[in-house]
Amino acid sequence: MEVLRLHNLQKSFGSVRALKSASFTLNEGEVVALLGDNGAGKSTLIKAISGVFPVDRGDIYVRGQKVSIRSTRDAMDLGIETIHQDTSLAPDLSIARNLFLGREPVNLKWLGVFAPLDLAKLRDAASALLKRVGISKKLDADALVSTLSGGERQSIAISRAMQFAAKVIILDEPTNNLGVEETHGVLRFVKEVRDAGHSVLLITHNIHHVFQVADRIIVMRRGEIVAEQTVADTDLLTVESIITGADMSALLREARAK
Amino acid sequence: MPVVKRRSSLIRSPQFSSLVILMVLLAVFAIADANFLSPLNISNMMAFLPELGIIALGMTLLLTAGEFDLSVGAVFGLAPVVVMLLVQNGGFDIGIALLAGLLLCIAIGAVNGLIVTKIGISSFLVTLSMLLVVRGAALYITQGFPLKSWDQPGFFVTLLAGSFNIGTFRFYTSLWWFIGLSLLAIYVLHYAKLGNWISAIGSNRNAAVARGVPADAVKIWLFILTSVLAGLAGMISAFRISAASPVAGTGYELEVIAMVVVGGTALTGGRGTILGTIVGALMLRSIRNGIVLIGVPGLAYNIFVGVIILAMLILHALLQKNAARS
Ligand SMILES: Nc1ncnc2c1ncn2[C@@H]1O[C@H](COP(=O)(O)OP(=O)(O)OP(=O)(O)O)[C@@H](O)[C@H]1O
Ligand SMILES: [Mg+2]
Repeated sequence: MEVLRLHNLQKSFGSVRALKSASFTLNEGEVVALLGDNGAGKSTLIKAISGVFPVDRGDIYVRGQKVSIRSTRDAMDLGIETIHQDTSLAPDLSIARNLFLGREPVNLKWLGVFAPLDLAKLRDAASALLKRVGISKKLDADALVSTLSGGERQSIAISRAMQFAAKVIILDEPTNNLGVEETHGVLRFVKEVRDAGHSVLLITHNIHHVFQVADRIIVMRRGEIVAEQTVADTDLLTVESIITGADMSALLREARAK
Repeated sequence: MPVVKRRSSLIRSPQFSSLVILMVLLAVFAIADANFLSPLNISNMMAFLPELGIIALGMTLLLTAGEFDLSVGAVFGLAPVVVMLLVQNGGFDIGIALLAGLLLCIAIGAVNGLIVTKIGISSFLVTLSMLLVVRGAALYITQGFPLKSWDQPGFFVTLLAGSFNIGTFRFYTSLWWFIGLSLLAIYVLHYAKLGNWISAIGSNRNAAVARGVPADAVKIWLFILTSVLAGLAGMISAFRISAASPVAGTGYELEVIAMVVVGGTALTGGRGTILGTIVGALMLRSIRNGIVLIGVPGLAYNIFVGVIILAMLILHALLQKNAARS
């Protein structure tokens, strides 16, 4: 069943056409890998889906319904959780406070933004979560994020996407900077959420990871989607050549024929 | 190990070192001049403390969110001037005039906030311009002359500038305002959901926005809050001395920001401490007061204030570096 469908999304930054036209469909319980060289427009595409900025043109459908995503809150409310490549955490806040940023557990809810944080719950849930991701046994939920390594920060951001059972989880280069064990933790997490029926859009430069977890591959070049293949029907070398653009025309023809 | 870490981080925390320095300063002044700790002098300091302290509370929240406001001193001057003009020339009831003053402060804060967030100009430039506009307005509408303030006793005067005696000490109600607002600010910044948002916005705005935190709205409200607190402090001061001067509060913006950063709040946002600000307010107040008592010539005391602030900041920076290294 279709969860997310993009139709002809376009986005320019001044004269840079970061996204010329992007259309694709993400199905329930599917891991789709979004590949492409630096500057291909991958981050721009997922920022448009997650409400970081509006698109210039194009439509987004969630479960067949046309939606307008005007803010990150809109995207979260539609069940789309995103881990961005370049932001994610507030370094001056503790791990626990980061994990629940924007969705803090509170007492006396009727006080609105003045409601007191449920600090005990915050800390307990944070510790439980850190344990579950399996990468952070040694991390104290009260530690400030500014005291963590890059990889540890990445793990925190990923744990955060896990805690809210989102329909669509978008990961922008989640294994960047991660060590071996942490990388396995992330890939295991991707499979886990897929098996639980969620859909994952995974952006990565590591093709080996793609073949370990993805069901389908989408390749972008210069703001356009240039190929779409199921993992079972392709191999590492083919994908590599599509990304770099070697013998594009033949590959495109092949992709279209499918 | 985390327990040990937390304890030592408390000792290394900026508000703790500020507190130690405050103690040292108080001890030095007390030894240098016996009158420093006399009931009269303490009452005196406590009368002045809330006026800048109340503004500093708002400034702390604003700085934590990564912005600051240079127009507070001017608003401190304008609010009472407008209120008293409405009463004396407009014939309005004092209650209505106060309400109008409040709305004016809200409007000034909202304009600051909207320009900073929606047009994206740095708060330094926006509020610097606002300082000129507001101070200019105060001078223009009074033609530069101070006004006699409300001196008939009544509900509002008692509320803002009433006084009471505890033993030989004389306290103004403004001290209660300061204490109450401080507790509220501590709660909001450190225990409420809003405080989490404020720190997150100042620490990494994009991350906060990506989590659905309404960063612009929060900042606009903080600008409004800071303006309103500046206006409130201005009213308290005007009622206390029964005069409203268009130049009242000149230079307060820098003194308030000094209080806040001396207390340990980061000028770059993300890290704010209300306790530190209270310590900072006490420190600057006692420096001003103590320096006069020990006989530094009046015209020279800004030199001392500046040097002491600088020394404080250097100390904070060194402690910070030390903490980062270990
Ligand atoms: N905010 C922005 N303003 C101007 N140009 C931008 C902005 N964001 C992205 N771009 C440009 O849009 C193009 C696509 O960028 P994008 O970040 O989407 O690439 P990417 O595929 O994620 O690359 P990478 O693999 O390096 O992360 C690039 O040419 C980039 O310079
Ligand atoms: Mg990218």
